[in-house]
Amino acid sequence: MRKKQCVAMLLAGGQGSRLGILTKNVAKPAVPYGGKYRIIDFPLSNCTNSGIDVVGVLTQYRPLELNAYIGSGSPWDLDLANGGVFILPPYHSGKTGEWYKGTANAIYQNIPFIAQWDPEYVLVLSGDHIYKMDYAAMLQSHIDNNADLTIAVREVPWAEAPRFGILNTDENNQITEFEEKPKNPKSNKASMGVYIFNWSKMRKYLEQDELNPNSENDFGKNIIPDMLADNQRLFTYTFDGYWKDVGTIESLWEANMDLLEMPMPIDLYDKKWRIYARNPGMPPHSVAEGAKVVDSLITEGCEVKGVVNHSVLFAGVTVETGAEITDAVIMPGAVIERGAVVRRTIVAENARICAGAVVGEETGNIAVIGPKAVIGPGEKVAAGVQVDADAQ
Amino acid sequence: MKDVMGLIYTGENDIHLGELTSLRAVAALPIAGRYRVIDFQLSSMVHSGIKRVGVITQKNYQSLMDHLGSGREWDLHGKVGLQILPPFLTRDGQGMYDGLLDSLKSNLNFLRLSSEEYIVLTNSHSIYNMDYTDAVKQHIETDADITVMYMQPSEAFDGEGFEGEADAHFTVGEDKVITAMEVGPSHPTCHCPSLKIYVARRERLLQLVEQSAANGYHHFGRDLIQRSVNNHSLKICGYEYKGYCCQMDSIQAYFNFNMSMNDPKVRAALFPAERPVYTKVRDDLPARYMGGQCSNSLIANGCIIEGTVINSVLFRGVKVAKGAVVKNSIVMQDAQIQEGAEIDHCILDKQSVIRRNGRLIAPAAYPIVIAKKVVI
Repeated sequence: MRKKQCVAMLLAGGQGSRLGILTKNVAKPAVPYGGKYRIIDFPLSNCTNSGIDVVGVLTQYRPLELNAYIGSGSPWDLDLANGGVFILPPYHSGKTGEWYKGTANAIYQNIPFIAQWDPEYVLVLSGDHIYKMDYAAMLQSHIDNNADLTIAVREVPWAEAPRFGILNTDENNQITEFEEKPKNPKSNKASMGVYIFNWSKMRKYLEQDELNPNSENDFGKNIIPDMLADNQRLFTYTFDGYWKDVGTIESLWEANMDLLEMPMPIDLYDKKWRIYARNPGMPPHSVAEGAKVVDSLITEGCEVKGVVNHSVLFAGVTVETGAEITDAVIMPGAVIERGAVVRRTIVAENARICAGAVVGEETGNIAVIGPKAVIGPGEKVAAGVQVDADAQ
Repeated sequence: MKDVMGLIYTGENDIHLGELTSLRAVAALPIAGRYRVIDFQLSSMVHSGIKRVGVITQKNYQSLMDHLGSGREWDLHGKVGLQILPPFLTRDGQGMYDGLLDSLKSNLNFLRLSSEEYIVLTNSHSIYNMDYTDAVKQHIETDADITVMYMQPSEAFDGEGFEGEADAHFTVGEDKVITAMEVGPSHPTCHCPSLKIYVARRERLLQLVEQSAANGYHHFGRDLIQRSVNNHSLKICGYEYKGYCCQMDSIQAYFNFNMSMNDPKVRAALFPAERPVYTKVRDDLPARYMGGQCSNSLIANGCIIEGTVINSVLFRGVKVAKGAVVKNSIVMQDAQIQEGAEIDHCILDKQSVIRRNGRLIAPAAYPIVIAKKVVI
C-alpha cells in the first residue's frame, strides 16, 4: 500500500429506524433519492471530487443491497489499483469479535485498515445526508489551524439549535465546548457529523476510549469530550451549502421536493462536481400521447401515460392512463395503474398501486407504500399511513 | 457461449447518412435518446456470453474510441475483453480497407492470437438485440463453413421483422443451405434479406480469408459468399433470425428508426428487461419538466423541458426553452432550442443551437439535418 495523505471512513451501519418500512430491508445509505441516486452517492461522489481515493464503508445493518450497489466502486471512479472503496463489516478475530458498539468503536475495529495506508489524516463521514462538500477545503483549514480535530458545522436557525450537537467556539473557530442538544444554546454551530482527525491523535483516543468500560464508544459523547478535556486543538469548519438530513419520512420527501424548486437549491447540473450513481441501463423515458407532466423529475426507463404533477419518478416507473400523481416520490420499478390517485406519498421500489386506488391526501403526513407492497383496486390509504408488504 | 468471440466491422460505406457520419462512423451514430449504434451489437454479444470482442475501425474512429473506452460499460474490460483494431500501414497496404475481407486480412493476427473456437462477425449498421447462441448452435449442427443470418421479407413492420434495404438476398433450402444469392438486383428472384452477420469456426475463417486474399479478392459478400454459393465450393448456410432488425443506411432510415422509438412494441423488442442495452454513462440527473407540454416522445436524462415537445426523441441534456416547439424531430445531446423557436422534421446533431424565435420546418419526406455545434 502506498501512503495516503487522507483516508475517508464512511459510517454506513445505521438502521435509520425513523425511515420506517423504507429501511426495513436496506441500510439507510442505500435509500433511493432524487430520481436516480441513493443517499450514499453524495458522500462517495464528494470524496472522489475532493481527491480522496481511499474510502472505507463501515456496514452493519442489512448490508446486502448496499454492498451490491457499491460493488467495485467503478461508478465513483473508486475501483483503483492503489486505493478505492472498501466494504468493512464487523468481524471476528479469535475470541474478541463483536458488532460495532458505537461510531468510535466502528473506527477502532478498523484501525488496521487505516494504518495500512499510513495516513496523516482521517476523514469521518456518515451516509445520512444530501450535500455537496469539498472535503479538500476542509482538510486545508484543518492543516492551516494546526488542528487535532476539525468538525464541520453549519449555522442553523437559533430556534432549531436545541435539536443539534452544538459547538461553542472562540473568535478563531477553536472549539471551547461541545453540548449535545442544549436547552439554551450559546452558539448556533451545529455539528454535521463530518470530522477530520490527525491520525496519530485519533488512534490514541480510540484506543484509550476502548479501555473505558463505561464509554458508549461514540464520537459525540466520548471522543470529542475527551479531547476537549485534554486541551487538544479542536476547530470548526463552517459549511454554508445545501445540507439535508434525510433521516425521516418527512425530510426524505422534502429533500426530493427541493429538487423541483427553481433554481434547484442543490445544483446537480454542476459539471465540476458531478454526483455519480450506478446506472440501471434503461432506455430514455417515454411520454405517451395524452400524458401530462408538470414540474417534475422523470428518470430513464419510465413510461408515462397519465398525469404527473410536482413529483419525482425514479427509473422504470410506469404511470398508466388516467392515473394522477401529485407531490409524490415514486421509487424504481413501481407501477401506478389506471385511474389511481397518488398524493403526498413515497411509493417504494416495485410497489404497485392498482386501478382506482387512492393513496395519500392533499394535506397531512406523508403516506408510505413499502417495497413490493400492493394497494388493491379501489383501496384507500390515508395520509401518514405506512403500508408494509410483509404485513399484507 | 464460452467458446465464441465477436468481431464488429465498422468500416461500412456510409455516404447515404450524409452530414450525420461526416465526423463519425455509423457505429458511433447516436440513436434512441442515449445510445450509439454499436451499443446494440456489443450488448447482444455480451448477453450471448461472448467475452472477447474486436472492433475493426476504419475512418472517423475517434468518437467511437471515446465512446468505447476500456469497454467497462459492457463488462468487456476484463483480461480478454474489448480490443479496438485501428487501421495501420503495412508493406502491402495503406491502411485503407477495401471492404470487410480486406479488413479481416489486416487483422489476421488478432484472429490467430485469439483462442475461441467460433467467431461471430457482424456489421455495425444493423440495430437489433439478439442472442447469437442459436445461430452458433445451428452452425455447429450443419457443419457449415460459414453461416449467414437472414430474415424473412416483411410486409409491414410490427415490432419484429426487417427494416431497411438489404443489398444482398438469399434463397435458403430446407437443409439450411443457401442455394442462391443476389446482390442489388432490380428484379430480385431471391427474397430473404441478408443481415450480414456471419458465424464461422475461427480457424476456418482464417484459412478462407488468407485464401481469398491470395486470390486478390476484396469483397466478403460477393467474392467469398456469393462465389462459394454459386460454385458450391463451400457449405454456406443461412440462419433465420426472427426478431427485430433495422438497417441504419440512410437519413430517412435514421429518422424513421428514432421515431419508431415512440412505439411501445419497438421499444419492447429492443429493450427487453432481461437484456439491457449498455452504453457510456453520462451521470446526468433525471429530465426536468417545468411547465410546457410533452406528448408521444422519448426523453433522456439531463433534459430540461419548458416548451412543447411532440412526436420527438430528445437525447441527454437537451434544453427546450419556454415557448419553443419541437415537433417530429430528433434532437441529439446538449442541443438547445431557445425561447420561441420552432422545429419540425429536423435532426439536430450534438450541441447545435436554434436561437430565439428561429424556425426550421422541413417536409416530412425530407428531414433537415443540422450539423454538430451549428448555431441557427
